[in-house]
Amino acid sequence: MPDDELLGSHRQELRRGTVVLACLLALREPGYGYGLLKTLEAAGITSDGNTVYPLLRRLEERGLLASEWNTDESRPRKFYRTTAAGTELATQLLADVSDLTKSLHSLNGRS
Amino acid sequence: MSWTERYLAAALRSIPEPKRTDVERELRSSIEDAIEERAAAGEDRTAAERTVLEGLGDPSALAGAYTGRPNYLIGPELFPLYRKFLPRLIAVVVPTTFIVMLAVNLAGGGDMQSAISRGISGGITVAIQIAFWATVTFVFLEWAAPARQARSELVAAAGQWTVERLPKVQDARISVREVAGEITSALITIGFLVFSVGLTSTTASGVEVPLLDHDFRTVWVPILIALVAMRGLGHLMAYNAGRWTLFLTSANVLAQVLFAVPVVVGALSGAIVNEDFARVIGWPALESGNGVPMIALAVGTTLATGWEIVRIVLRARRSQGVAPLVTASTPTA
Repeated sequence: MPDDELLGSHRQELRRGTVVLACLLALREPGYGYGLLKTLEAAGITSDGNTVYPLLRRLEERGLLASEWNTDESRPRKFYRTTAAGTELATQLLADVSDLTKSLHSLNGRS
Repeated sequence: MSWTERYLAAALRSIPEPKRTDVERELRSSIEDAIEERAAAGEDRTAAERTVLEGLGDPSALAGAYTGRPNYLIGPELFPLYRKFLPRLIAVVVPTTFIVMLAVNLAGGGDMQSAISRGISGGITVAIQIAFWATVTFVFLEWAAPARQARSELVAAAGQWTVERLPKVQDARISVREVAGEITSALITIGFLVFSVGLTSTTASGVEVPLLDHDFRTVWVPILIALVAMRGLGHLMAYNAGRWTLFLTSANVLAQVLFAVPVVVGALSGAIVNEDFARVIGWPALESGNGVPMIALAVGTTLATGWEIVRIVLRARRSQGVAPLVTASTPTA
């Protein structure tokens, strides 16, 4: 059994690349920063605000997300929504993840 | 002022103006959302605020993530170039500075001792300056947005790594020839020392005057002979051990320094050659610490010793590399 620290660092490494995909998929339904964190958490994807909040801006700068301020409620919130380009990228990435999982399982089954 | 306000101030400080207001508004609402939820679950508001902010971590790191500014001075793209460039620059410029300073001071009529010390301090100053400015330049290339273009060009110019760039693996084993060479040179040095002890000149009245100064002849020459003999012995031990161990390397360097110091100091203070001998042969400058022969002896010994120490250290580094190399290439089957 590997020690917790080792497991933790490898898990973090594995998850790092999937946060973008998770955000793009989740935000096909418009969402705001903290709400998105909760959505991801509910889906079993743990991530930190200090990763996700800056990431949302970078994805927006690249045109994968679009944003809009919602001031209807008592607290103004910036809502993000995945753009067409973002959806396209997410579809591609999701296929890659499935392929990767398949490949890993086939490696696992071979031994 | 609340923690949240202080956190926002710290995080936003380094975010450029056009983005700042928007980031502030968003970050504030995210923080408040998180605190709100914890408070609604019955947590104390102050404790919730602390947990949320500490969860976000160091505000300057967060700001770095927002601006895309690196959390390091020189990144992995530039670092190999930096490591290659800086030592080479120093290795070229520092000895040049030393020699130039030495020459300028000697030409200006300074004595050897102060010329050497000015050369050394000049070399150190230049090394520090180069290290500082080269580092500043690389950090600028890494950090400054307008320098991004220059950085990619620089990295591209340094070129793709190919197998041709692999450093040559030198044979680190100590060859018989190497040891034989060293022992021969030690024997020659000893022979030369013994010969110079016996070297005399005869005055008009028939008195034999030895070349070497009395103290140097009776005290220092035996010590020098012992040091040279030790050096030869060290080579034999290294050959026997198969490599230059840390102990043998240090002992060798020490023997080099102990040999050079009395020769250089003796030469510069005119304590090597017998005053009477110089007078008898009609060349008083031979004895003087400020005369050409003794200065040449001092400079020559210093350079030869410096070069020898560099060689010893390089050889020891080669020796260090040899152990894992041999193990790795041993077939396991």
